Amino acid sequence: MEKYYKKWFKVLSLPAVILFVVVILVPFVMGVAYSFTAWRGSYFKGSEHWYGALIGLKNYIKVFNSQKFISAFLYTIKFTVVAVIVKNIVSLALALMVRRIGKGKGIFRTIYFFPNLLGGLAMGFVWSFIFQNVFSMMLFGEDSPIHIPFLTNMLQDPNKAVFAMALMATWQTAGYLMLIYLNGLNNIPEDLYEAASIDGATAIQKFRHITVPMLMPAFTIVFFLTLSSSFKMLDENLALTNGDFGTRMLSLQILLTTRENTPPNYGMAQAQAVIFFILIAVVSIAQVIITKRKEIEA
Amino acid sequence: MREGMSSRKKIKQGILYAIMGLVAVYTLFPIYFLFVNSFKSQKEIVASPISLPASFDFTYLKNAAEQIRLGESVVNTLVITVAAVVLIVLVSSLTAWMMVRNKTKGSNLLFLCFTAAMLIPFQSVMYPLVNLMENLGLKNTGGLILMYGGFGLSMTVFLYHGFFKSVPLSLEEAAVIDGANIFQLFFRVVFPLVKPITATVVITNAMWIWNDYLLPFLIIGNNDSKTLTLSLYYAKSLSGQYGNPWELIFPAVLICVVPILVVFIFLQRNIIEGIAAGAVKG
Repeated sequence: MEKYYKKWFKVLSLPAVILFVVVILVPFVMGVAYSFTAWRGSYFKGSEHWYGALIGLKNYIKVFNSQKFISAFLYTIKFTVVAVIVKNIVSLALALMVRRIGKGKGIFRTIYFFPNLLGGLAMGFVWSFIFQNVFSMMLFGEDSPIHIPFLTNMLQDPNKAVFAMALMATWQTAGYLMLIYLNGLNNIPEDLYEAASIDGATAIQKFRHITVPMLMPAFTIVFFLTLSSSFKMLDENLALTNGDFGTRMLSLQILLTTRENTPPNYGMAQAQAVIFFILIAVVSIAQVIITKRKEIEA
Repeated sequence: MREGMSSRKKIKQGILYAIMGLVAVYTLFPIYFLFVNSFKSQKEIVASPISLPASFDFTYLKNAAEQIRLGESVVNTLVITVAAVVLIVLVSSLTAWMMVRNKTKGSNLLFLCFTAAMLIPFQSVMYPLVNLMENLGLKNTGGLILMYGGFGLSMTVFLYHGFFKSVPLSLEEAAVIDGANIFQLFFRVVFPLVKPITATVVITNAMWIWNDYLLPFLIIGNNDSKTLTLSLYYAKSLSGQYGNPWELIFPAVLICVVPILVVFIFLQRNIIEGIAAGAVKG
């Protein structure tokens, strides 16, 4: 059998290898190389080939001196911190509640999960109206019964917009993350809790010393997913604020760089794309290593 | 004593249901909101956004359907989604199966490459990719399908890899001894055994591709053969010079959401279980 599989291995994995090379590997290598050149999209400045247009670290220096990039970088981190915390708390709370109720588990699970299937751009348009009109004028405006200034005009202020975007992103993904936490909770053996009860542990002690450590694998997955999706968020940023009022995140910044310079500076956009990759790779790997270590300790 | 406990429990349950009910209302509110405002004029939307429409007037939906060229957009989106999902499932499952059955250095290296590629964000490769595709004459719907195939690959191979490990080798040996060729072996014996993960793969990839904005934007742009999401984007951005035309946006968004809603109502159990299964393995 070994020989049989060996014979077919090359043939059957060839389509995947070709797709991988053409769609990911070659563009990735091209992208790193082009980030050191004067690339203008359809041509290279001063040469027919990319190696004739090499300009060293100039694109990177330009990027680090660009106010727009620095602002997008910091804003992305700010949003990610808020979104990761809010999404984790809400989805874990939902999972704990859904587990404890008697009837109707299935219905609540279904309702909470549903927004996850809808497009970020399409629903972003709807949410932008909710923030602008319903929140600002009807519910929390000056003339409404409960006036909460923080919840009005959220999309026109960078600090408030972080929470507006986090609110929408949580609405979208909490139900999905809840499913992962629910699975983790179901894997905790009941007798651990029973033994703790016999020893006289309180509900809070049980949560801290049984639930939390046993949930670490689910936490690793949720943390990884929320971290990378928040870093990469584009559709919601585009639909809610269009990056205006200092709310531009890195994905949108990379997309808009080629539109804001004439001739379009693809070299500079690509340098940002490479920095973006390094940032995501480092953060993701570090996060997985740290939470895995915690899993083992627990 | 016992009665006291149970009434305390009842109160607790009551509080839980109240909180969860509120969260459910909050979750469904934007959908309700989208629905009622798809039948109102601009004036009515701004004046009374939360109430039911004065009358269920379908002119706005009809107008939106024309603006986003509903028929064509749906067909385009459907063709792209179905073709890309079939491509992803076929290519990834075959490769993952072969990787599990060949524990050579080459196969391990390949698996490592695919897994590592999950860390590469789309934005890091999009400009060179579009450039490359243009040079290959693939800046079109066909190219779009291939690109989705490439980007869907990593995660899907990873998921299948985990599932094929549990398929017993003896089963495959028996089929080969009975004279099955490699394709019969795979499609009749192995593939049916991993149906749950295929469901997960189909759902997650289909949703991603159906809703995707950026890749069609870069490849198709404001040409014919736009996808639904792309049509929606252009309908909004091209008519929005004088404030947002909500009487167009709401019905257009509703049109994009309805197909997903219908599929979800029919397949909700499979979808939720499939997603949960994939999340655990992933």
